[in-house]
Amino acid sequence: MDALIVVFVTGLISMFIAMANKPAYVLITAVVGLSTALVLMISSWFNPAFIQITYEGLEFDKVAILYSVLAMSFTLLIIVGGYSYFKKEVEHTGEYISLLLFSLVGALCMIAFTDLFMFFLGLEILSIPIYVLAGSKKKNILSSEASLKYFFTGAFATGILLFGTAWVYGATGSFKLNEIALAINDGTAQGPLLSIGVLMMMASFLFKVGAAPFHFWSPDVYGGSPNIVTGYMAAVVKLAGLFAFMKLFTFVFGDLHSLWSGALFGLIILTMFVGNLSALGQTKFKRLLAYSSIANAGYALLAIIVQDFESVWNLWIYLLGYGFAVIALIIISLIVNNEDDDISAYKGIGRKNPLIGIVMILALLSMAGVPPLAGFFGKFMVFSSAFNEYPVLVILAVVNSGIGMFYYLRLLMTAMSKEDNEVVATLKPTIMQYIVLAVCAVGLIVGGLITI
Amino acid sequence: MEIYIIPLLFALIAAIAPKNLVKHVGLVGALSSLVVTLTQVVSFSPAETVTLFDPNFITSFGLTFKMGYDGMGLFMVLLTNVMIPIILLSNLNRSIANEKSFNSMVMLMQFGLVGVFTAMDGIMFYVFWELTLIPIFLIVLWYGAPERKNILIKFFIYTFVGSLGMLLSLMALGTYAKDFSHESLVAIQLVPKTAFWIMGGFFLAFAIKIPLFPFHTWQPTTYTVAPMAGTMLLSGLMLKMALFGMIRWMIPLAPEAMADFKCIVITLGLIGILYAAIIAIKQSDIKRLFAFASISHVGLIAAGIMLFDKETLSAVFIQIANHSLVAVGLFLAAGILEKRLGTRTLSEMGGVAKLAPKFGFWFAVIAFASVSVPFTSGFIGEFLLLKGLYGYNWMVGLAAGTTLVFGAVYTLRAYQLSMYGAPKMESFKDLTWNELLAFFLITVFILIIGVYPQVVIDFVGPSLDKLFLSMQASNTLIP
Repeated sequence: MDALIVVFVTGLISMFIAMANKPAYVLITAVVGLSTALVLMISSWFNPAFIQITYEGLEFDKVAILYSVLAMSFTLLIIVGGYSYFKKEVEHTGEYISLLLFSLVGALCMIAFTDLFMFFLGLEILSIPIYVLAGSKKKNILSSEASLKYFFTGAFATGILLFGTAWVYGATGSFKLNEIALAINDGTAQGPLLSIGVLMMMASFLFKVGAAPFHFWSPDVYGGSPNIVTGYMAAVVKLAGLFAFMKLFTFVFGDLHSLWSGALFGLIILTMFVGNLSALGQTKFKRLLAYSSIANAGYALLAIIVQDFESVWNLWIYLLGYGFAVIALIIISLIVNNEDDDISAYKGIGRKNPLIGIVMILALLSMAGVPPLAGFFGKFMVFSSAFNEYPVLVILAVVNSGIGMFYYLRLLMTAMSKEDNEVVATLKPTIMQYIVLAVCAVGLIVGGLITI
Repeated sequence: MEIYIIPLLFALIAAIAPKNLVKHVGLVGALSSLVVTLTQVVSFSPAETVTLFDPNFITSFGLTFKMGYDGMGLFMVLLTNVMIPIILLSNLNRSIANEKSFNSMVMLMQFGLVGVFTAMDGIMFYVFWELTLIPIFLIVLWYGAPERKNILIKFFIYTFVGSLGMLLSLMALGTYAKDFSHESLVAIQLVPKTAFWIMGGFFLAFAIKIPLFPFHTWQPTTYTVAPMAGTMLLSGLMLKMALFGMIRWMIPLAPEAMADFKCIVITLGLIGILYAAIIAIKQSDIKRLFAFASISHVGLIAAGIMLFDKETLSAVFIQIANHSLVAVGLFLAAGILEKRLGTRTLSEMGGVAKLAPKFGFWFAVIAFASVSVPFTSGFIGEFLLLKGLYGYNWMVGLAAGTTLVFGAVYTLRAYQLSMYGAPKMESFKDLTWNELLAFFLITVFILIIGVYPQVVIDFVGPSLDKLFLSMQASNTLIP
């Protein structure tokens, strides 16, 4: 809770400090604030009574702390790595960074919520800054399209979520998670009222994590938004969405497993195939990333359908691997800085700058699930815990990993090609971007091994 | 632990070393691994099992990190660490040897191979197995022939999908076993139906890597476009991972499926022997010819593994070593011809032996080893394998025996077309010292094993006994 307040206040300060017209001040404020919040969050893992500020709608238990630390670290990496982009327009630097921080506040609320009211609030706090950020390249028509599209479809999904929440409230008589779970468990709440509510909530969750058939917004929004916002959406928004999904459906609606698992089963298969097959033909980097993130959402949903307490941990490892890989790729795309966002612009960057090449290899192979990288262990843990109950899903997921390998490999071959006639523009990564890439690389290498 | 640290360390050093020193770095690294392995071999008695790494710790999903070796594991490690210096040595006069990334990747490859042969945990085995794919992919991508791109994607996807089959099998076994260590996985007993699918998953991975008959389509093209060093690594060492994997992992983990699988694999191996040999006879590209020859030879080894008795398995290890040596020798000869003449087409060669007598002699030695002349390692290995197959079914033995005839036909045809006749070129530079030394070392090893095969049999024998024993001890039946 204290960390949440620190993040929010940091956002406020960095918004106002931008008036000094010194982008560096904003960065320093944000980094110091976020680091403080991270330290507070981690210390509350070891010492829960350090500074106890409680609010009945939010509870930072150990699971929530794990996911919060991940979300905060990702945001920190994105802010540091994207600084060279933010400072291009000095008058907007503060807005970029503070909006990202506000959005993080929403993500933390979505992770730590204990009642549906707080959850809805978190979702809105998370989404609204992203609507704005997606359209922040004001003169770019694609960016405006992304913003508008995300806003309309997002608002629609939120509406459905709210509607579903109302039905659930009607059936159970409470917004509190434990009371809802109790009402479902002892049978006081049942019947179509509850079923419709739960299914509506599931639909809007599937929209938020970009699962098929609610995925149509994501290629356009990912493709049109500024690169760094795309990275934030893929790493942090997806993390918050998936965790909230798991929290509600594994722990609260767990007793209704037979109701929603059938639908989710079909949609997972659809999501994986739609994501991977569509990614095969992409020529734009961020659209490729969008489809790959759809496919990855499909794999991650396996952790939710199995309804197993270990899945909390499995999903965490999975998202860790995915987040580091996505951030590394997005930072590389910032360094390449190609207006058309064409994959051919990545030709030979491994030869131009071997360090970037190595990180790119690690990120792509981790996403494809090659051991011993974090992405492999995440996938392995999610898949193997699902194997007993859903062997068909796991086999299809593994087949999809094979399909996915194809486009990751193509990108890898483009980046690592050594032919002399392929000239690339000069790459000018900043020191901070090197640091972020190094952190991502270390995270990808050792991330899979921090198994408890 | 040194056998892991040295390759990794030298992979790093090679990546940052100055360009004029890098080939020495690679060679020193490979030789120091060899020295370490030799000290381990000297202090090793074949009946023991050495644990290299065991943190006594099981992760939440059952990974135990166990590494270690027994006789056959150490034999494979020794083979790896003997072959890597020879491969580097034979490349010394080529521009590739001066590349940092090449030397670094070979060292990484060595690390992965040693890991595969010493893994005592299913997941560790998978991790190292996949790790070896990255260096070979990059070596071929960076230094291969111009038409490599699509071929390389085919190769990578093919092998990756195969490994995913193995991963599925491991996951399925993991739901029954308490952890992924080799002994826990061997200890579970499956009903034949489950065992069939589990062995099927492993088989997919290994059959693609070996490659066995219907899964071989990636191999000739990849061997052809790979640089000489890449082809040597692929044929000399990487496919041995799959043969070793069959012995260590596939059969002991799901022996209940042997009744169903024996016949399938032996049939596929047999088809491979005949089919690849006949295709090899008709080849006009020397590298493709040797690639098909390799399919033909390993088909016999794979069929022999499925018999799974001690005598045949000892022969399999002899044949694994023999095939490594001969394949590296043959691809070295093919590489020399390709580099000096700028072509791989047999009809454009001829008369090389007149211009380069030293090369003619050493190529002939390797060619004879390839057709299993007595006193070469191929003779005793193939003889024992064929004896085993004959005991299984006389028709199988007879059909497999044609490998000797066909092998002589295609190898000698390749030799004759390239080396004899009127010279079709002005001049041909004879062997350089490093190529000569590589040929010499290969020949020495071929002769040692050929004259005294008992040394291999004694080395791997006790560990095979232990493997059989551990398989019989498994008794917890799981549906």
